[in-house]
Amino acid sequence: MTTTDVAGPRPLAHRLLVVALSAAAVGLVVGHLAYQTVEVSLAGLLLRLFSSSGVYVAPSEQTVYFGLGTSHPLGLTMTPECTSAFLLVPLLLVGALLIGLRPRIAGRVMWSLALAAVILVVVNQVRILVMAGLVSWLGTDRGYYWGHTMVGSMVSVFGGAIALVLFVWLATRGDTGHTDG
Amino acid sequence: MGEDSVTVLFGFTQAIALTMSVGFLVYVYVIIVPYLRHKPLPPGDSAAFDWHFLVPCRDEEAVIGGTVRYLRQTFPQAHVWVIDDDSDDRTREVVASLQDGAWLHLVRRHRPAARTGKGDALNAAYRALKSWLGRHSEAHRQIVVVVDADGRPAANCLDMCAGATLFGDERIGAVQIDVRMGNRGVAPPAARGWRRWLGTAMVRMQDLEFRTAIAAIQKSRGYTGTISMGGNGQFARLSALDDIGGPEAAPWRGSLLEDFELGVHLLTAGWRTGFTMDTYVDQEGLYSLRRFLVQRTRWGQGTMQCARYVRRIWDSRHLSTLGAAEILYYLAQPWLQLVGTIVYPIPLILLVTRTIADPAWVWRWFTGGAWVLFAVYGSFGIMPFLIWGPIYWWKCERQGSFLRALGYGACYAAYIYTFYVTSWRAVIRLARGRNGWSKTRRNTERPDGVIALDH
Repeated sequence: MTTTDVAGPRPLAHRLLVVALSAAAVGLVVGHLAYQTVEVSLAGLLLRLFSSSGVYVAPSEQTVYFGLGTSHPLGLTMTPECTSAFLLVPLLLVGALLIGLRPRIAGRVMWSLALAAVILVVVNQVRILVMAGLVSWLGTDRGYYWGHTMVGSMVSVFGGAIALVLFVWLATRGDTGHTDG
Repeated sequence: MGEDSVTVLFGFTQAIALTMSVGFLVYVYVIIVPYLRHKPLPPGDSAAFDWHFLVPCRDEEAVIGGTVRYLRQTFPQAHVWVIDDDSDDRTREVVASLQDGAWLHLVRRHRPAARTGKGDALNAAYRALKSWLGRHSEAHRQIVVVVDADGRPAANCLDMCAGATLFGDERIGAVQIDVRMGNRGVAPPAARGWRRWLGTAMVRMQDLEFRTAIAAIQKSRGYTGTISMGGNGQFARLSALDDIGGPEAAPWRGSLLEDFELGVHLLTAGWRTGFTMDTYVDQEGLYSLRRFLVQRTRWGQGTMQCARYVRRIWDSRHLSTLGAAEILYYLAQPWLQLVGTIVYPIPLILLVTRTIADPAWVWRWFTGGAWVLFAVYGSFGIMPFLIWGPIYWWKCERQGSFLRALGYGACYAAYIYTFYVTSWRAVIRLARGRNGWSKTRRNTERPDGVIALDH
């Protein structure tokens, strides 16, 4: 019944992939300001798309202003606590670990990692849109209170959970262990 | 540290803590569902197999007599193999006085070969059993059952393990049964006041842990194909042990978690493992918090030692990626607890620092809605543990009101936080190269009595 499992050498391409994902994780921590600038610029684009009021992005301050020209304008700064950058870091590291341990699932891991990353980015944008919507509806103080603290946190938690579950499920499903490559 | 660095540190640790918490919440949900859906399975015919109880003993004179008598009376068709690991007390004499024809066997070990770990003791019994059976025995019909010296397997355990989905299936190499604390609800003798309360609560929490959270983890492992073995109530098919025993005839290996190790070797050799909640083994829960911490430190250190199997598990053709990921998550637990002790307090430390510097701002921030975050994160930290109290009350021990169930849950949350202590103790022992077997004292052993020491 016993069969010996012999570990083959890890292909160079997979090793490079592991290094690249790890480097991306480090890059996100080191270059979080640049990432926050991109995130806030994307938020500006989406707000212009969904809002009839004025929108202004100050990239150097990682801040987006919306509701300009109305009675409740507001500027939101993308801080390290609000960015999705740091939420991507554990996913990248786990992805690198999975590929390092079982190279044959690299394609599946990369695909699910991409999907999870998109979900995290989209969820953070949705959080900003919800905040802008609630400020426009309830006014600056109440809208910010509910949008940032309550709804925003829930969106982050559930969005994070969905991203995490999808990542693990998609990265690990379908491989029965009997198809050594 | 500048304000920018503090903000980045806060954001980073918050993200890591959120990911770990959300991941754990999802994991708890995933294991609860199969546990709650459990339906008992029909028993099999235990007469289709030969059964051999292996009882490793290292200074067990306090309990071994009662255990041997119980095993022989409850399972007259089973052999009992007591392994005396060169005990310093009267273990050997107690067993010798019980000699029971061809059904009770004493395997004696002698220093320096003895007292080198439970795995070595079990291997000695395995070799003695092989020698006693001879070459022509049907190894697939021989079932070896590891029971602690204070273990009391339920009377139906052989029939349940012989069931069609367990040893009735020839692909199954090992089966783990549910573990209960036989002294649950029994106060520690001679203890008074808060010590009495703490001792009773400690045993209750161990019972709750094994019968709910651990059983749920094992049930969910039925889907990932990674059911693991425990140190008590561990059943193994002799032919499976032969498969992984190697030329040294040593199926149990040398880590402090030899039971988990056995499961890994069986799974990576292509055998399947099973788990059943339809039968159980009673063991003595520990009343003493100190002894409990020693035991859990050993388990934590054993789990850390088993990190050496990560590569073997992921290279195995017999384990699915989901299964390998499940084992990896289990092996990562003590390490994640170490990370948790660093990551979780950082936001709080930063908050305290900010409060000292600018209490008015912090008060405005807190009353302006941050209290919701505290409530959310607080419930993340407690709910995954609190929930087992009502589940235990509902499924296992339905006594008292629902308030008692919530009390169980609250105590269990506090109980689980001791793992943060034991994980650090384990990693310090590992770093110092202290890999010896620190046997947990039985409740009946006095601190000044003869005990087995770490080596």
